[in-house]
Amino acid sequence: MRIEEGKAVSPSKSPTMADGVERMDNESIKPEKMFTLKKWNAVAMWSWDVECDTCAICRVQVMDACLRCQAESKRDFYGKQDCVVVWGECNHSFHYCCMSLWVKQNNRCPLCQQEWSIQRMGK
Amino acid sequence: MSLKPRTVDFNATWTLLQETIHGVITLAHVPRPVWNDRFSDVYSLCVAHPEPMADRLYAETKLYLTNHVAKLLNEVLEGGDAHLVKNYFKYWTDYSIGARYLHSLYLYLNQQHIKTQKLSDAEIIYGGSDTAGEQMEIGELALEIWRSGMISPLGYKLVKLLLEAIDEDRLYHTTTLPIDAVKGTILSFVEVQTYKKKGQLQLYQELFEEPFLNSSGEHFKRDAARLLESKDVSLYMEKVIAKIDEELFRARKFLHPSSLPKITQRCETHMVAEHLLFLYSECKNMVQGERKQDLSNMYNLLKSVPNAMSVLVETVLDHIKSQGLVAVNNLQGESVHIHFVENLLEVYKKYRQLIQEVYKGDQNFMGALDKACSSVINYRPSDGRSPSRSPELLAKYCDTLLKKSTKGISESEVDEKLSQSIIIFKYIDDKDIFQKFYSRMLAKRLIHQQTQSMDAEEAMINRLKQACGYEFTNKLHRMFTDMSLSGDLNNRFSTFLKNDSIDLGITFNIHVLQAGAWPFGQSNVTSFALPQQLERSVQMFESFYHKRFNGRKLTWLHHLCQAELRLGYLKKPYLITMQTFQMAILLMFETTNSLTCGEIRDTLQLNNEQIQRYANSLVECKFLLADTEELSSNTSLRLNTEYSNKRTRFRITAAVQKETPQEVEHTMNSVEEDRKLYLQAAIVRIMKSRKVLKHNALIQEVCAQSKVSFAPSIPMIKKCIEALIDKQYIERTPHSSEEYSYVA
Repeated sequence: MRIEEGKAVSPSKSPTMADGVERMDNESIKPEKMFTLKKWNAVAMWSWDVECDTCAICRVQVMDACLRCQAESKRDFYGKQDCVVVWGECNHSFHYCCMSLWVKQNNRCPLCQQEWSIQRMGK
Repeated sequence: MSLKPRTVDFNATWTLLQETIHGVITLAHVPRPVWNDRFSDVYSLCVAHPEPMADRLYAETKLYLTNHVAKLLNEVLEGGDAHLVKNYFKYWTDYSIGARYLHSLYLYLNQQHIKTQKLSDAEIIYGGSDTAGEQMEIGELALEIWRSGMISPLGYKLVKLLLEAIDEDRLYHTTTLPIDAVKGTILSFVEVQTYKKKGQLQLYQELFEEPFLNSSGEHFKRDAARLLESKDVSLYMEKVIAKIDEELFRARKFLHPSSLPKITQRCETHMVAEHLLFLYSECKNMVQGERKQDLSNMYNLLKSVPNAMSVLVETVLDHIKSQGLVAVNNLQGESVHIHFVENLLEVYKKYRQLIQEVYKGDQNFMGALDKACSSVINYRPSDGRSPSRSPELLAKYCDTLLKKSTKGISESEVDEKLSQSIIIFKYIDDKDIFQKFYSRMLAKRLIHQQTQSMDAEEAMINRLKQACGYEFTNKLHRMFTDMSLSGDLNNRFSTFLKNDSIDLGITFNIHVLQAGAWPFGQSNVTSFALPQQLERSVQMFESFYHKRFNGRKLTWLHHLCQAELRLGYLKKPYLITMQTFQMAILLMFETTNSLTCGEIRDTLQLNNEQIQRYANSLVECKFLLADTEELSSNTSLRLNTEYSNKRTRFRITAAVQKETPQEVEHTMNSVEEDRKLYLQAAIVRIMKSRKVLKHNALIQEVCAQSKVSFAPSIPMIKKCIEALIDKQYIERTPHSSEEYSYVA
């Protein structure tokens, strides 16, 4: 960055010099601008794109691992995000772990009783 | 000589034998052949034909010894009272040695004739049968005759003289009687009964020890009264300790070892236990003055008296507590949190060491230290109405240590300080509040790249995990994971850009956080019209992200984003790191010289509070000039074209990042909400497993479960129970309003 600064100092003192040079790269345009955005450190938060943020089967927030996984990952140093969310055709969503146990008994959505078929999986 | 039984003339043999016995018992010279002959004579008499004469021999010997002891008694008495002890000791020494030899001379009689009719050990111990009239081994017989013939008539007189001798020793540290005579005489009461299988000390105890202890007791009482006259507790304690030592020394000089603890105990009873109030009177001053020698003396004296220590323990507890409160009260200024933790640690360490040193690490006092620390750390000002600030201050302390700005402290020092802070942490009742503050501060450190070292961060989290368990640090760990995942994501994103030859025009870096793990609620997300310079970056990243992941949605946390902006309109170019909102405000001045706050607000779609805060920060940094002191919608802002600063590259984020009082309050409120949920969950869990439970038992179990992270108030638990009854999770049982049952 220092070198860049150095380059930038001289044109800003005499803007006319920059006009004389017929270079099209960014450096020559910059001095005309009062503000130049150099860098952006963004922060965003992700969450599952769900209608209801608790899993109706285990009653845990879908952003957290399901109860079963929580119990197992107790020894795990960093709680890994293996416990993903699954959406049915009915658009209801559950923990994948919870749902795969559920369909073994009853192949219907626990919320709307429609035949269960997976629309998409969280990743 | 034949071993065959033969006829023996008893009288002739006995006359010879008696002569030798006399020689043996008086320790006169007995030639070896004579000894051998008499030894055989004992044998011959025992196996004599036609009738063995053992019984007769025994009776004659007994008679002889009785007469001999009677003679000795006369001689002792003739010497007069002044020489009584000395003479007794002289004759006893000779007699007891002689008796042992005599025992050997009668070996055959002892072995063959008497042992066989003796009771077995078990019979003696459990039988308790009458042993009178039974024959004894000759050595024992001699001692028994001494006891009945000498000690019985003389004992009382002897003991009186002995006690006088000991009193004399107490007064002048010397005795007119020779020490060995006194000691020998006293010990003769034990030795004379050593042959007994039980109750060997009985004679000693009844004849001597009891009068001795009583007279000593009287002496101690008098001594205590004399010492008390000075009214000086520390002097008194010194004297008493010296006295106990002295008595122990004396007891070793004169008495049987079994008396040592008894005499110490007597001394403590009369000199300590009977004057506890006197000792306690100075207790407070000693503790407050931290007079180590006095306290150590006090401890040693009280240790021996049952339940006497509690007053001292209480006083120490109060003292530590008040010292602790003094150390952390009225702290002012920027670094309250540092003083708070370090002052507390100082108090803790000081008294811990004092307890090790003075009270030898006694558990009672360690317990007092714990109690005192806990009540200082969880002290609630204004009669318990306002919450304790300790969790917040401690979290801040850790934050200061873990932040980049920490200068002049080595890594190992930071590490040391952090592990010390766990001492304080363990005393905190409201660990959940600490966790809230800690996670907020950790989040800020991580996102704003203010972390000094990831190793130190991780070590600290592991310490907390050790103290409080996985549940407690789970979210902190997940925040860590997100950081490394984000690094990976950034790399992939730049590869993606390169492959598609896309130029964003800026250096773009992103942290993608997992909702739920970070202490940023969705509530902080407000509307914001993205400056056109950022639009492309956001679009590109979102499309990249959605291609890469499935079923996720992204929420941009603009209040946490930071931008680096180059200012080209001033004498020197400046490179300033600022918050996105600050940047967005500044960018609006690219095309115009003056804007009102209202205009900025409407263009950026921020709320008034945000405009106040961010515009104000720019005014404070002198990038913008305002025409009114207080910013309002109509305040007009102009760009300061005269701005200058020695440094050309810096950040102006600090002012906005500061924890505001509202934030602190918000944190406290969210803790309150979390606690209610936690308690309700705990109640449901407990009721589900117990089905029916009494009110008090339920409260107890809830308290036990929540202890790890906070100490719940009883009214709060009651409220939660009420709430669950309303929600029909539990109900009151029909027979008692104090009992609940689980509703399935």
